Amino acid sequence: MTDEPAETVTDPTEERASLVEELPARRRLVIATAGVVFWGWLFARWASHNSVLDSLATALGFPDLVRSGVPVSARTGWIPATPFEAIADAATGVADALGPASPLLEWLVWLADLAAFATTTAPALAEGAFITVYLTILSLLFGLGIAIPVAVARTYGGRLLRAVALAYTELIRGTPLLAQLFFVYYGLPLANVARGLGIDGQPPIPRAAAAVAVVGFTINSSAYQAEYIRSALESVDPGQVTAARSVGLSKLQAIRHVVLPQGLRLAIPGWTNEFVYLIKYSSLAAFITVPDLFARARDIGSDTFQFTDIYVIVAAFYLALVLTTALAMGKLETAVSIPGLGQSTGRE
Amino acid sequence: MSLLEVTHVEKSYENEDVLRDVSFAMDRGDVEVIVGPSGAGKSTLLRCVNRLTEIDDGAITLDGDPIHSLDVNDLRRRVGMVFQDFNLFAHRTARGNITLGLEEVLELDHATAVDRADAYLDRVGLADQADSYPAELSGGQKQRVGIARALAMEPELMLFDEPTSALDPELVGEVLEVMTDLADEGMTMLSVTHEMGFARSAADTLTVLDDGQIVERGPPENLFEDPDHDRTAAFLGQLTDLGQ
Repeated sequence: MTDEPAETVTDPTEERASLVEELPARRRLVIATAGVVFWGWLFARWASHNSVLDSLATALGFPDLVRSGVPVSARTGWIPATPFEAIADAATGVADALGPASPLLEWLVWLADLAAFATTTAPALAEGAFITVYLTILSLLFGLGIAIPVAVARTYGGRLLRAVALAYTELIRGTPLLAQLFFVYYGLPLANVARGLGIDGQPPIPRAAAAVAVVGFTINSSAYQAEYIRSALESVDPGQVTAARSVGLSKLQAIRHVVLPQGLRLAIPGWTNEFVYLIKYSSLAAFITVPDLFARARDIGSDTFQFTDIYVIVAAFYLALVLTTALAMGKLETAVSIPGLGQSTGRE
Repeated sequence: MSLLEVTHVEKSYENEDVLRDVSFAMDRGDVEVIVGPSGAGKSTLLRCVNRLTEIDDGAITLDGDPIHSLDVNDLRRRVGMVFQDFNLFAHRTARGNITLGLEEVLELDHATAVDRADAYLDRVGLADQADSYPAELSGGQKQRVGIARALAMEPELMLFDEPTSALDPELVGEVLEVMTDLADEGMTMLSVTHEMGFARSAADTLTVLDDGQIVERGPPENLFEDPDHDRTAAFLGQLTDLGQ
């Protein structure tokens, strides 16, 4: 390698460097545009049928601006299906004329049909996505509230506390999520408790089953989050705790001011994993009658018998939610990174 | 009355004796350097003084109070400690490393804590690095922050646990300079270090610890020039050779 002339070594690296500089900007633009279109559409959909916004708009003198009274099945899409149907028809005509030697055109027909189908099913899926999003976010945050004390107990607790925290995480992680959901929904009278608290499905209040699903996901997620956080806490240098104790901080103060601020930062990549899992696992709420994204897709499939098509479309919805989460958490990780440490400058 | 009095202290880990019948006393303003081969119990002795480690037998008093009768966090507030590996809080700036103890332990308000932190950073020559994070500082700067963090609590006694051992040779000087200034200003210092230059110039008393026991203790010049024990001569001879 050392014998080679310098030019052949430097040239490819220069080329690569310029490509690396160019690509992210263009890619970032594409990703940002796709994100703005998808989330803009989703938020507009949610807003256009939101009962709180409806009462607000009605009070302001625009009774027809927001229509929360329209049932989900009667809602119409904003993007017309006809252009896609026309493309499908035209492509079918050409494909028929060409005979069997046109697999590419048949794919085009399928894609155009899929797009047409997506425009008609999108309003119902948007409604389901709303439930999926709030199930995930609420469960994740409530779960975090349980996970931090559990992780601290496992790392710094006495023998009894450690044992209790270990038993909790292993019990939850060792049993199927669906079994836990059935247990809290059918086994415990939680739905009745929720109804007693006024969670009865009258807009804008969600149905009792959704509240029960949040309880189930919170418990499940807290155990997994606790494991991610525990391993992050354990990687915080114990010498810093000794230093904190040596200036007179109590153990709890040292955990609160030294271990947690660093441990929680280190936990973000693992925690993102749990976030992404929870988005997808939240589809199990459909099995306790919550009309989330997956339940809407399943019901549309039963009505239309286009199971393959609707599951492809709903997969794209989940993918969009997951990619958004991954991107946002990556940004968060960079934003809270400690100067001189972490991914921006490379580890020492 | 002595500021620190260590009397017949015994400490063992799993049947291995680490400290055996260790007794000595320090007055206010004394600078004491402890040397000894690795495993002699030097660090353990320091950690017993601020109760990061508990003694098995004997007694330690600070300004007449048995340390076990004091609230442990109050004791640690009165006894500062500087570590070999600095142990700075990685997520806080140099200033933030100092204000944490001031705000949480001394319960100073934020503005007062910041003023005091900046004053101590200035004292160790790091006024311009107040906003730097530990990962952005050199080893010598980190250790000076570590010293400022301990000093800002305004302790009665400072413990130094091999403060220069983790430093590159060219960075040792700046830390020793701060320690020498501190000694000159009358701070009571109990220091484990193998810097014989510091021991000769700044220490009032040099203690040789080996195998958990005090081998010899006295003014540094006596131990260097005319040691009573062969082990002292051998050990100090090694250190001095290494230093040249």
